[in-house]
Amino acid sequence: MSRPRYRDLKRNLIQFCRLLRANELLLGPGEVADVLRAIETIDIGDREDVRLSIRSIATSKPEDFPIYDALFEYFWGRQMEMEDGRGEDGGPRLGEQQAKQQTKVNLNLDPDKSPDSPPDSEDEESLPVYSPIEVLAQKDFSSFRAEELTEIARATLIVARRLALRPSRRYRPARRGGRIDLRRTMRGAVKFGGTPVLLARKRRKIRKPKLVLICDVSRSMDSYSRFLLQFIYALQNTLGRVESYVFSTSLHRVTNYFRSSDIYDALERIAREVPDWSGGTRIGYSLSIFLEKYLDVLDQRTVVIVLSDGLDTGDPELLEKAMEELQGRSARVIWLNPLLGSSDYRPLARGMASALPHVDLFAPAHNLASLEALGRQLVGRAR
Amino acid sequence: MNEGIQTVQQLMEAQHYVTDRAIATTVFLAMELRKPVLIEGQAGVGKTEVAKVLSAALNTELIRLQCYEGLDANSALYEWNYPKQMLRIRMEESGERSVEEQEAVIFSRPFLLERPLLRAITAENTAPVLLIDEIDRADEEFEAFLLEVLSDFQVTIPELGTIRAVHRPYVVLTSNRTRELSDALKRRCLYLWIDYPSFEKEYQIIRAKVPGANERLAQQVAAFVQVVRSAKWGKMPGVAETLDWTMGLLALHSDHLDPQIVRETLGALFKDRDDLARLNRADLEGMLNELNGKVPQQWVTEATPRFQRELAPR
Repeated sequence: MSRPRYRDLKRNLIQFCRLLRANELLLGPGEVADVLRAIETIDIGDREDVRLSIRSIATSKPEDFPIYDALFEYFWGRQMEMEDGRGEDGGPRLGEQQAKQQTKVNLNLDPDKSPDSPPDSEDEESLPVYSPIEVLAQKDFSSFRAEELTEIARATLIVARRLALRPSRRYRPARRGGRIDLRRTMRGAVKFGGTPVLLARKRRKIRKPKLVLICDVSRSMDSYSRFLLQFIYALQNTLGRVESYVFSTSLHRVTNYFRSSDIYDALERIAREVPDWSGGTRIGYSLSIFLEKYLDVLDQRTVVIVLSDGLDTGDPELLEKAMEELQGRSARVIWLNPLLGSSDYRPLARGMASALPHVDLFAPAHNLASLEALGRQLVGRAR
Repeated sequence: MNEGIQTVQQLMEAQHYVTDRAIATTVFLAMELRKPVLIEGQAGVGKTEVAKVLSAALNTELIRLQCYEGLDANSALYEWNYPKQMLRIRMEESGERSVEEQEAVIFSRPFLLERPLLRAITAENTAPVLLIDEIDRADEEFEAFLLEVLSDFQVTIPELGTIRAVHRPYVVLTSNRTRELSDALKRRCLYLWIDYPSFEKEYQIIRAKVPGANERLAQQVAAFVQVVRSAKWGKMPGVAETLDWTMGLLALHSDHLDPQIVRETLGALFKDRDDLARLNRADLEGMLNELNGKVPQQWVTEATPRFQRELAPR
């Protein structure tokens, strides 16, 4: 192999880095410099070395790998061959269509185009979309495939954990870290004749919000209820103090089912033991049953979350009365509505309209991003 | 392959760590560019091991900082030995030293408790390997602080002045992805993702780590674990579990996978009650009898889809 012209290589590398950046890989100027330095230390004749070296600098999560590999193939595929023979003007040209189709990845092949700018109209053929978490986050729950579930489960766990880590105003003794606990330090100093030899420490308590979740599993919610139940499962297993209920025509307490360590077991048992799963919807009636039977789980520090599309077939007055009492007896009532995800939805359904005045927060729950947003809101605002 | 990368691979293999090309390349670059490496992957794939092996291969000290929730700069960097200072003040109470002299004494090196980050910076003879384990468990504020230390490798202690690293440490960070790390940290690091090993790699790992296991047992164990991993579990068995299990089988003098013994030793592979129950319901006898009559690697391809179906959560 002839000695590659280093200047051309450098230019191409910089161009390649720009291409990577245009596809949302994390590369600052420092990393581009690193790529150039890395290339000097390895054998650039060895394609695999080059690919792996730049990959370790340019990527930062496994989901980046398919994107990176496709771009590498696209950019260097021809390049490398050319350096052997004809050289010169080896512009990066593996057919664009080829590169895109080979990889099932939605690529931006123009480094000058920022990732956010709208795609060219000619590029807008219907390609299979790559689905790392960012894409998943925007995808409507009703359109998920089974293999994407794992990713969702992971993400909901992260949300639930974020919910759980809320520092309270109170302190608890700690072995290390935190601040010095003066009271206990002074107390401990007594045995050293007044010299505070040992410093006691304290740290803020973590206060977990007390949650009551009431999930609609009627037929109109079919495509969502599985994912919402998964969300409940994650919440309950992270937060501890969660009471959960499901309803369609009547209400059932399901807290105990979710104690099972296997989500599938839990879902199956609920489906088996809740008689009117996928039935009609009587929100008002179900909520009044809740108030009748389980009123004692509510207190002024409980956040109630209702997950429902609000398509009620019962009496709207009953619903309004139940919602009013629910709001009065809890800290906050949050209504999560999967239909809120579609832009043309207006809460006009009779049930929803009558419940709305008694809801503190009305939010969408149709995809991961919306659940994450909820996590942030709960952390920031819960009393 | 580049000679340097090959050398790294040989060095690591001399420490009984089976590498692949991606690992060797990243470690090589980390040494050449002196950048930190961020290693992610499932639990039990050997993330921490990379740092240990690296320090052994370079014949240098391994300094480990285990992260946990609420880890703060004090416990990571340095603390003054406060009780010792107090006692010294007491002892000197009747002495003749001036206040300034006393201060100089109690705020000197002997009264400083060096925590891992400071120890990494002050290491005198060779550049140490600094392992920052499970960074995702630390808080975001700590991450920001760490970023500062990792960019300058110098620390200012008000009473002592600025301490600069004599040798820039090799830094290895590991994360289990329980939360996303900040972009700034990810950018600064080389990235390495370690997946569960392939059949071939796991077989080599078993041979390297459990020399007592013969070829047949090692192959069968590797094959069985491959197939088992194709299903979903509460706690997926990692490489560490594979090795434990192999050693357990050896202790029972097995030279192949016998259904009876497998059932009795599964506790080494699965640490979750529900997982064990699910596995025990499966037709292990059928599977293993089949495995005993076949080339293990071939059996993996054949048995995986069936096993997946059988073990799918009902």
